[in-house]
Amino acid sequence: MNIKKFFRQDSVRRAALVQGFVVPDTSRCVQCGICSYNCPINIDVRRHAWLGIPVKDSHCLTCGECVARCPRGVLSFERTNLFAEQADVSGEA
Amino acid sequence: MRRYVIVGSGAAGISAIETIRKLDPSGEITLISDEMHNYYSRPGLAYYLTGELAEEYLFPFSRNDFKNLKLCHLQARVVSINPDEHQVWLNTGKSLIYDRLLIAVGASAVGLNIPGDNLAGVVKLDNLDDARQIIRLARKARAAIVVGGGITALEIVEGLLARGVRTHFLLRGETYWSNVLDRVESGIVLHRLQEEGVKIHFNTEIEKILGNRGKVAGVQTRDGRRLACEILAYAIGVRPRIELAQASSLKTNRGILVDSRLCTSAADIFAAGDVAEVYDPLSGKSVIDSLWGPARDQGRIAGANMAGVAAHYSKPIPFNVTRLANLTTMIIGTVGKGMDKDLVGIARGDSETWRRLPEAIAAQSDFDVNRLRILVGQRNLLGAIVMGDQSLSKALQDLIVNQVDISAIRDRLLQAGAPLANLVTDLYLKVREKDARPVY
Repeated sequence: MNIKKFFRQDSVRRAALVQGFVVPDTSRCVQCGICSYNCPINIDVRRHAWLGIPVKDSHCLTCGECVARCPRGVLSFERTNLFAEQADVSGEA
Repeated sequence: MRRYVIVGSGAAGISAIETIRKLDPSGEITLISDEMHNYYSRPGLAYYLTGELAEEYLFPFSRNDFKNLKLCHLQARVVSINPDEHQVWLNTGKSLIYDRLLIAVGASAVGLNIPGDNLAGVVKLDNLDDARQIIRLARKARAAIVVGGGITALEIVEGLLARGVRTHFLLRGETYWSNVLDRVESGIVLHRLQEEGVKIHFNTEIEKILGNRGKVAGVQTRDGRRLACEILAYAIGVRPRIELAQASSLKTNRGILVDSRLCTSAADIFAAGDVAEVYDPLSGKSVIDSLWGPARDQGRIAGANMAGVAAHYSKPIPFNVTRLANLTTMIIGTVGKGMDKDLVGIARGDSETWRRLPEAIAAQSDFDVNRLRILVGQRNLLGAIVMGDQSLSKALQDLIVNQVDISAIRDRLLQAGAPLANLVTDLYLKVREKDARPVY
């Protein structure tokens, strides 16, 4: 992989993280707690998943730890579209 | 004031309590459970074993959550029920009167029944105490043997492996979880385990467990080999805990038989979760689901009926997402075929519906470690297994659950080498557009 491609991938990833918030799919959740355990700022992500509400906590860093660690694919990022005009990530990929 | 007694503090029991409290704020709820610990995530034990999770995170409810449910928690075992008198007797000698009773005691592991199965070091994974015991034993053990063919067996293998124990995985046949997975899928899982260092023994059965001073020292197989180990773990299936119901003359089969209100053969006694055998009007049969989602749903329906709000349970299309050898795997609908040599009855995280022989043709595509298998019926998709990349799982879930007509793409799906992912995605997008349903 050349260096330009590497940085472009990383910037796409970061843009997605900045623009998104974590959305749960309750039907997949078994309340194991891995998401809450891995949250660096101790947001109770499991409770959000349980109640089926997006993690819109203003403290959420959108670091993606919970999304990546969930063994059952409960969590995903959804765009907020706040910055949709400034940077369209799908176009860059 | 109505008196509710809930036996069992698992997913179904807690879900019922939540529903009852919502519908009847003043009712008196008593939770009786022989479990030492409060409500915890049983599926989470797998990740506790691998060390991905600290024990305190297994408990979804805080002290406050329990307080809000306003329940009385008794740590005891129910020894008998008198349905005529509406009375339960506990092992402590106490008795309780109920107006509505829920039995949600779940299922427990089927025993090995071979010589030596009472030695120290023979373990299962039913509850938190079992998980603690495995972790404790793994600290000193050099080698372990795991017997079984379902999700739980694999969870134990992965847990022991993560803790640095040399692990042997014994299979009676040549494939893993043949109720559900086909040869290729089983091959993917087993190959990945082998790469991690697990020694897999096919066509191997244990004749007896060898002991030394009351502890497991190894096993002798039917073909005369001896394998040394300090831990022998088994997960050959689960059996609903129906002894209490049988002793109380409730109608049982393999589980406690319930109608669509989840009411048993006795008035005012309900059953839900792994212990309940629910009548499925679609197939005309009673089936057991050993899954977290249905247990929650059944608890909710039973709770509503107990609180006097009529509700009927209709069996959903079985759906489970699990992790097999580090591959996220979604299983939905009918996918399997018949009996598994390694399992007695049903496995944890399993649904009997999976192994009905579907009148369908499988369309498959696999590349690297991602694999997709779709069961194509005459008019709609009947089931699917998605291993690895989960980007298609939502689309498939939607198409299968809503029984979307696939006649537009059916022929193309069944062509050899068909681009399954593209066809499914296109259909999904078309349906979504038509319905204009919001999808994440």
